[in-house]
Amino acid sequence: MSSSPRTRFAPGSIWAWVLLASIAIGLILTVVTGSVGALFPPEAATAQGREIRDLYTIVFVIAAVIFFVVEGLIVWTVIRYRRKPGDDELPPQTHGNNLAEIAWTVVPTLIVAFLFVISWQTLNNVEAVSAEPEVTVRVTGSQFAWTFDYLDAGGNSVAKQTVANGEGGILALPVGRSVQFRVHSVDVIHAFYVPAFLFKRDVNPDPDGRESVFELTIEESFAGEVLRGQCAELCGLGHRKMTFEVHAMTQADFEAWLVEAQQTPSPAPSGPVGTTLQLVAKDITYDTLELEVAAGEPFAIEFDNQDVAGITHDVDIRLADGTVVANTTEIDGGTSTTYVYGALDAGEYTFICSIHPVPSMTGVLTVN
Amino acid sequence: MATTAPALTPAASGYRSGLYEWLTTTDHKKIGILYVANSFIFFFLGGLLALGVRTELAQPGLQYLADENLYNELFTMHGTVMIFLFIIPMLVGFGNYVVPLQIGAPDMAFPRINALSFWMLPLAGILLFLGFVTGGAAAAGWTSYSPLAQDRPLGSVGPGQDLWIVGLLLIGTSSILGSINFLVTIFKMRAPGMTLFRMPILVWTVLVTSVLVLMATPVLTSALVMLFIDRNYGGSFFDPANGGNAVLWQNVFWFYSHPAVYIMVLPAMGMISEILPVFSRKPLFGYKAFVFATAGIGALGFSVWAHHMFTTGSVYLPFFSLMTFLIAVPTGVKMFNWIFTLFRGKLTFSTPLLFALGFLSMFLIGGINGAFSAAVPVDFALHDTYWVVAHLHYVLFGGSVFGVFAGVYYWFPKMTGRMLGEGLGKVQFVLMFIGFNLTFFPMHALGLSGMPRRIADYASDAGWNELNLAATVGGFLIAASILPFLWNVFVSLRSGKPAGDDPWEGNTLEWATSSPPPPYNFDHLPEIRSERPVFDLRHGRAGSGH
Repeated sequence: MSSSPRTRFAPGSIWAWVLLASIAIGLILTVVTGSVGALFPPEAATAQGREIRDLYTIVFVIAAVIFFVVEGLIVWTVIRYRRKPGDDELPPQTHGNNLAEIAWTVVPTLIVAFLFVISWQTLNNVEAVSAEPEVTVRVTGSQFAWTFDYLDAGGNSVAKQTVANGEGGILALPVGRSVQFRVHSVDVIHAFYVPAFLFKRDVNPDPDGRESVFELTIEESFAGEVLRGQCAELCGLGHRKMTFEVHAMTQADFEAWLVEAQQTPSPAPSGPVGTTLQLVAKDITYDTLELEVAAGEPFAIEFDNQDVAGITHDVDIRLADGTVVANTTEIDGGTSTTYVYGALDAGEYTFICSIHPVPSMTGVLTVN
Repeated sequence: MATTAPALTPAASGYRSGLYEWLTTTDHKKIGILYVANSFIFFFLGGLLALGVRTELAQPGLQYLADENLYNELFTMHGTVMIFLFIIPMLVGFGNYVVPLQIGAPDMAFPRINALSFWMLPLAGILLFLGFVTGGAAAAGWTSYSPLAQDRPLGSVGPGQDLWIVGLLLIGTSSILGSINFLVTIFKMRAPGMTLFRMPILVWTVLVTSVLVLMATPVLTSALVMLFIDRNYGGSFFDPANGGNAVLWQNVFWFYSHPAVYIMVLPAMGMISEILPVFSRKPLFGYKAFVFATAGIGALGFSVWAHHMFTTGSVYLPFFSLMTFLIAVPTGVKMFNWIFTLFRGKLTFSTPLLFALGFLSMFLIGGINGAFSAAVPVDFALHDTYWVVAHLHYVLFGGSVFGVFAGVYYWFPKMTGRMLGEGLGKVQFVLMFIGFNLTFFPMHALGLSGMPRRIADYASDAGWNELNLAATVGGFLIAASILPFLWNVFVSLRSGKPAGDDPWEGNTLEWATSSPPPPYNFDHLPEIRSERPVFDLRHGRAGSGH
């Protein structure tokens, strides 16, 4: 019944070592990948994110201890209790041990109870919403654009930024002030996610237009930083392009930026144009998919976006191979504009909504 | 011994030969093998889809998929196929083959319904894949969140999503029928002496799994019908544009799909709970605690679905956080039971044990990294990033897939009468173990640094390049590990070493009959006085230490 390990070369031991080697390689990979991209979230850019990061660190330490104790126990047991060749005796037939089993029920219960309590505390801090936030931003998600409206005390938009397919405006935010976000979607589910905030919130469509509300305060030390934001909930074909930039600004810079953003630039088409065409977009569909203009002279399209606010469209012109001939600025639902295009050579072109490059918004422009 | 019939001539033991027999069989063993073979086909197909995803992500920029929608189809179908056509049916297949044998029954309770349950699956698989040739397969993710899954511009236009719904309805119906069959079989067809607390642990896990399937799957089925009505008959259950509720879909979907995680892992836990005792020559440590832990996981499994929805802003967070943390306790109990089964044992490192140890060491990581998301504020950072992809693969690949291969190497000799080669088995294990970690471990770091799931491309300056390349190399290593497996099966079926009735010195009744067993399984049964009747037969009552 002796169970002392022998160092003799035996088939069993080879595979114990192979297993050990595999686990060792796994651990090396852990270290290697850990050094490339750390196993910690980025430095938190908000007060709330800082609390989340602190919680992460506590969970990580407990998890690491459990991992090394239990994984170590597995590896040690496997190496220690190899069956030696020719040993046909049965080991002791232990069926259980009440004390041990109670211990490994009670101790984990206490650990998870502790984790639950501290994460609940952090949750209450992260979810706190003030009655009178210093800045309020309404975030509207749509396929595949973000609209950021800066609201006054009465809830009216005083400045608007649109980021379609990752291009266009920015989300400027002041440091050191509580910013309330009111998020909703006009079509499918999106998620507002800024990794450096360590936070995301689903951007849900709601038949009653209800918004989901949360507050964040950017740390003073992040003034001047540009942070990456991205949609985190699969929302269709352009999901990956729904990025945006957060520009953290000092309060003075933010005030100045806001004043500038309020003066909406009005596009002023100029010069004589030949033909002027009409085009309407509604339900993510152009009312016609065939347009015709004369070659060699500028032309215009009076474009009416009849979708709801938040759904932006434009009318770009491309060659068959996808080369962009004319890149227009998208307009919000419920507004209209006149796009002016330069003269084109005769031939067939594609006119397309760059935000919604679907068949119902992809037409043929024939230039004679 | 139950029979002296030559093990390698099934025709001699009364089988009709040929394709007709396989197409019309109601024998639980043949149906079990059909399940396993069918599931492997879909495993390989699902793996190819995953390689498509990993190949595109190897480097920033769109290199291989000119049609970005195809990328969405690939990961949607990868998830759907692996969950619904590989892991779940694979475990049902092992249950089908092994459970009647382990309880000393001649067959399942309803053999024809058993055959019906199986044949729905290839049909469902064909329907799902038909999407690729009818204008695009489902592309809204395996979760098919509404309104993206609705028939609307930039949503899910075309038949792919409808085929997905109908395919899943068939699979769900198959699961419900199968679970009833298992429950009746386990409750009504146990051999004399096989009391509930003498049932092998695999039977217990299949029992609890069947209860989960029976209670959860009808909820998914109703949700699928409602989504189908939304898409085709002007319904508005889940579409806010028509006054429906988008989050309702998530509630009903996860009410099934979280218990489904346990459906996908409990039988694999049962399989390694058969294998660890045999290869350490000891009984399972804490049998009853293990049974109660299994039942506890099943019960708690119904109260944690909304932990997939922490960021919706629409669920009561502390309750679901607490329940999610609590489910770690019975899972931890099992982990210690397994380790103390090995403790002071005499371990033989055959391939089944290697894969079972792979399960132990990797499922541990899948449990631990899951606890991060139970802490709700941490989940605000991790949700829908690659961290979650890492977590779910450590559970479903590190856990279930390693468990499945442990089961394949363990029961293949019983199913075919031939041993699988040990050398090739170990080569497969090492390749798969390294490939698995290389693929999925870097995803923790990717998720923490903010890479969202389900994107075909990423900025080259985001710091994700090296980790993605590592994951892609790992993915191809996993694919490479399948080649020695296939060769092993091929060689073994042609000229493998004969297995004999009981090649591993097993504990349970399937090792008391021939390999493969005759129709109706047993000529006579050994006396059943514990959960290890064949061990008792071999060593006498003294050996079992009762």
